[in-house]
Amino acid sequence: MEHTDSNGICEELVFSRFFKANVKSLRNYLYFKFGNEEKANDITQESFIKLWENCKNVPLEKAKSYIYTIANNASLNEIAHQKVVLKYAQSQTQKDRTNLNPEFLIEEEQFKQKLEKAIDSLTEAQRTAFLLHRIEGKKYHEIAVILDISVKAVEKRIHGALITLRTEIEQFK
Amino acid sequence: MEEKYELAKWLAGEMTEAELQAFQNTPDYATYVKIADYSSQLKAPDFDSDLLYQNTLSKAQKEPKVIPLYQSKWMKIAAVFVVLLGLTFFVKTTSTSTEIAENGKKTSFALPDHSQIVLNSGSEIEYKKWNWDNNRTLHLKGEAYFKVAHGKKFEVSTQLGTVTVLGTQFNVKARDNRFDVTCYEGRVKVVHNNHEVIITKGTSVTFDADTFEQQTVQNTKPEWTVNQIVFKKEKLQRILNELQRQYNCEIVLNANENLQLFSGTLPADNLKTALQIVSSTYHLKISKFETTKVILEDF
Repeated sequence: MEHTDSNGICEELVFSRFFKANVKSLRNYLYFKFGNEEKANDITQESFIKLWENCKNVPLEKAKSYIYTIANNASLNEIAHQKVVLKYAQSQTQKDRTNLNPEFLIEEEQFKQKLEKAIDSLTEAQRTAFLLHRIEGKKYHEIAVILDISVKAVEKRIHGALITLRTEIEQFK
Repeated sequence: MEEKYELAKWLAGEMTEAELQAFQNTPDYATYVKIADYSSQLKAPDFDSDLLYQNTLSKAQKEPKVIPLYQSKWMKIAAVFVVLLGLTFFVKTTSTSTEIAENGKKTSFALPDHSQIVLNSGSEIEYKKWNWDNNRTLHLKGEAYFKVAHGKKFEVSTQLGTVTVLGTQFNVKARDNRFDVTCYEGRVKVVHNNHEVIITKGTSVTFDADTFEQQTVQNTKPEWTVNQIVFKKEKLQRILNELQRQYNCEIVLNANENLQLFSGTLPADNLKTALQIVSSTYHLKISKFETTKVILEDF
């Protein structure tokens, strides 16, 4: 993204581009955190409203951390966590595998279910970091900025998440 | 030793060749690969980002972004309070403060400079709190005892005369044309009409109509502050006036005029005894005695 506008984020075109580039990550981050779509959507909207209202005081390069800070602050009072419901996307690899034998497909389906259950047993911190990496494709240093923690701490959470997931999945066997 | 989060490194693809090979030989490797594989196929529930964008723009209050102070309800309330507080402060400091001791009561209070004042019954003091330290002037009706804190000129003005001091203890009594000032400490300047006197510790001065008299006193503070009323060559009617103030009662004298002057002490907390002393001195009898009304007659 390149923005040279003097008005920065106050320019609606710039704001719109910024919104489109970041809305999904922010919203999904909040969803991973709360497991509640409505709450995630609300806080996402609130964060962008604040950004739009304060556009004059927020330089574009700070806008990203600004919306995450707003979102994190707004989340401080929200603790209720519901089950994070995730879906499996029809990935390219899956389509290639549709011709494989049914036994393999059943096994695959079972593993997917186990994985979903296992994700549910992660702590909120582990879940958020892990899903940001796996689903949103965020790098560890990006996750560190979003969660306002160190990269080392992100690695610790990812590492912990993987161990928990493996042990949970093996238990289901 | 620094902790190594190998699994995190592996997931990010940051393992070295050797590390990766060692990891691939562990029995858990296959499960981890599956976890990484399938978890990347997950996705969060969809949402309408266009709707969110429209809502964001419509709900944001873009113009004016600076919310004026007075638009907030709480600021309005706060502003009213500030104005009221300011007004109260202004009125309190610039207006005249009045301290009153009603008949039968005594009041003591402190001035802004911590000078102490005891007001005798039926007396009143008016003063301004504003700039008190530089303008220590007050108006007295009746009788009061002053313990003045050291500072600039302190002035007590009465209808009969003015008393000026620089930090002492003194008593001022200005009633029925008789002006008494007693100094208990330091020096006091008394001005009555054109007559100016400076009295020192342990002296009192009395201006009565045209007469002027100076005496010495032994006490260190006025007798009335310890519930005694002391008279020096006082007329009967004025004694009765003083008793009326002290006991907050009406005293009627049905007797011939008696010009004999009384010197002595009467209690300020026992009306009966006080009346008995007066009546025996002036050969009177108490024909009626109630707490609010007393009648004295010739014996």
